[in-house]
Amino acid sequence: MVLNTPASPPLRGSRPRRRLSVTVLCAGLAVLVVGCSGVSGSVASAVKDSSSAVATARLALRQDMEGKLTRAATATTLDDALREVDTGRSTVQKLSPATREDRDTQRQALEALDACAAAFATARAAVSADDVGSAPTTADGDRALAAAQDALNQLGDKAGGT
Amino acid sequence: MTSPDLVPLPPVAGRILDAQLHLLDRQVLDTDGVPVTTVDDLELSGPALGEEIPVGTPAPVLDALLTGPVLGTRIFGGRPPSSRLIRIPWKDVADVGVVVRLGVRGGPLDAGWVERWVRDKIIARIPGGRHDPR
Amino acid sequence: MKRLLGVALGILTAIGGFVDIGDLVTNAVVGSRFGLSLVWVVAVGVVGICLFANMSGRVAAASGRATFEVIRERLGPRAGLANLSASFLINLMTVTAEIGGVALALQLASSVHYLLWIPVAAVAVWLVIWRVKFSIMENVTGLLGLTLIVFAVALFLLKPDWGVLAGQALAPAVPDGETVPTYWYYAIALFGAAMTPYEVFFFSSGAVEEGWTVKDLVQSRLNVLVGFPLGGLLSVAIAGCAAVVLLPAGIAVTSLSQVILPVAEGAGKLGLAFVLVGVVAATFGAALETTLSSGYTLAQFFGWSWGKFRRPVQAARFHLAMIICLLVGLAVLATGVDPVLVTEYSVVFSAIALPLTYLPILIVSNDPQYMGQHVNGRAVNVLGMAYLVIILVASLAAIPLMIVTGAGS
Repeated sequence: MVLNTPASPPLRGSRPRRRLSVTVLCAGLAVLVVGCSGVSGSVASAVKDSSSAVATARLALRQDMEGKLTRAATATTLDDALREVDTGRSTVQKLSPATREDRDTQRQALEALDACAAAFATARAAVSADDVGSAPTTADGDRALAAAQDALNQLGDKAGGT
Repeated sequence: MTSPDLVPLPPVAGRILDAQLHLLDRQVLDTDGVPVTTVDDLELSGPALGEEIPVGTPAPVLDALLTGPVLGTRIFGGRPPSSRLIRIPWKDVADVGVVVRLGVRGGPLDAGWVERWVRDKIIARIPGGRHDPR
Repeated sequence: MKRLLGVALGILTAIGGFVDIGDLVTNAVVGSRFGLSLVWVVAVGVVGICLFANMSGRVAAASGRATFEVIRERLGPRAGLANLSASFLINLMTVTAEIGGVALALQLASSVHYLLWIPVAAVAVWLVIWRVKFSIMENVTGLLGLTLIVFAVALFLLKPDWGVLAGQALAPAVPDGETVPTYWYYAIALFGAAMTPYEVFFFSSGAVEEGWTVKDLVQSRLNVLVGFPLGGLLSVAIAGCAAVVLLPAGIAVTSLSQVILPVAEGAGKLGLAFVLVGVVAATFGAALETTLSSGYTLAQFFGWSWGKFRRPVQAARFHLAMIICLLVGLAVLATGVDPVLVTEYSVVFSAIALPLTYLPILIVSNDPQYMGQHVNGRAVNVLGMAYLVIILVASLAAIPLMIVTGAGS
């Protein structure tokens, strides 16, 4: 004969607790949906992430120019930051704005983010080139990124203002 | 709850063990201290479940420690057929403490077949599998 | 003299071994977004891990039983299996994050894409587990991990306004631009990063691996009580560097490359070299520990033969389980999922799963059958109960906060 431990009856308070957690879950989801829907909200968060990425790239480029960062580390940092910008850009691209105002916001954000990506291309080319020929210099990259940062800041201020 | 029909408990020599507390889910070590398995269930002698118990039947005796698929049925319910049970006979048990110690070597026991299979088919074939790390 | 050396070595490896990818990423993220306003959580976490490691080390030394044997004995097969599943999955997630961390650090050193480094890292982890002696493995990664002290050096070289930093640390407040739920979400993440359950599986199983007895308890206590707080200071230095360089620049950390920028800022290329060695050593060491922990948990639950002190053929299922775990981790990383993201989730899930391992250890360390005269003292029990409450609250609050804050975004 096998001595089987009997299956214990289901715990009594478990059902109300489950119901409570479902309620919490729903409430949380509701907050999430309200917080993130809306074109301006998504644009604002994409702009914020991208401006953090551009700031990172500028910091890395400055350190590179000051001889504090190796080329490998600078290149990796730029790639990571560019990926962040790309993520933001594709989020904004996927938005489907309903009002004219939202369409304007989306268009402006895309313009700024495209400028960012272009600036990253310059910076990346400067870092991978070995300071010869017609390749852009690190300083060119930094200038391009600074312009992109200004554009993002303006956009961010406007998004914050509305 | 003592009934007059029951045979009185034999006088207990030695320690009293609680199956749930001291045996089930305890680690089993062989005579060299190598882990063999965990006590997944116990097998008792005596009448089958639900059978009428005649007066004067001797108390059931612990026959074997069980391991293997019986763990799954103990968790999820049901009972594997008797032929699928992997037994470690109670007479092989030397000591019960924080762990259950066997008086025999774990190598040849039925309970070790998965370990032996994995060892012979996979681990021993990777270079360095027999290397002593110390 | 030899004994003194042993103590020093133990403490140094405890410091170097304290930091892993979870601590690196979470502290840098928190520093770059909240300054030093969450430093108090590191302190709470360090006291907690000292308490927890002390109890489980004592259980292992006094009874020779490691954590998951004890968990199954106390909880029975059903609750034990549920516990095993949760702990094992979170541990697997941590394995994945650590291997990804090694690869990311190697990318920073070489600019070769991290996906190409991942198989290299995984094979290296397996080779060390397969061949290298336990104590050598522990000491080498621990001592190399000490190079992370460069975070503290860089913080001094950055010449920050110490008054401002102290103000952030001593009068914690939610900074502008961050919400209260996000603050608390990262408090839980930081707590989970400091008190990862794998450290406890590893610590107690390591005590069995190295054959600790009650005599070694004094040294183990010293290692923990001195080494972990110093490791905690290292965590604070990581957050401090991020708070000084990244926070004012408006950079929120989302990748490992951002974590090391403040060190380069303060200490230049030499600092960069040190920090890369340190990050590789710390994440590689943690990858070893988590991979071993996944083998330990399974083997201890099912009663298999385990341990690095045995030849692999004498612990066949244990070694096979670890190989499979490494392959699963590889497969997950091969999908291109961001290792930093995996890390951020793994620390929060660690906090969620913490009560599952904490409670059985607290119970058994009070059980005279296992512990003999080495049961918890009154002071340890008072602290133990207080932490039980903290751990439960953090565990229960984590999921709602994760949903409300969109995982801290």
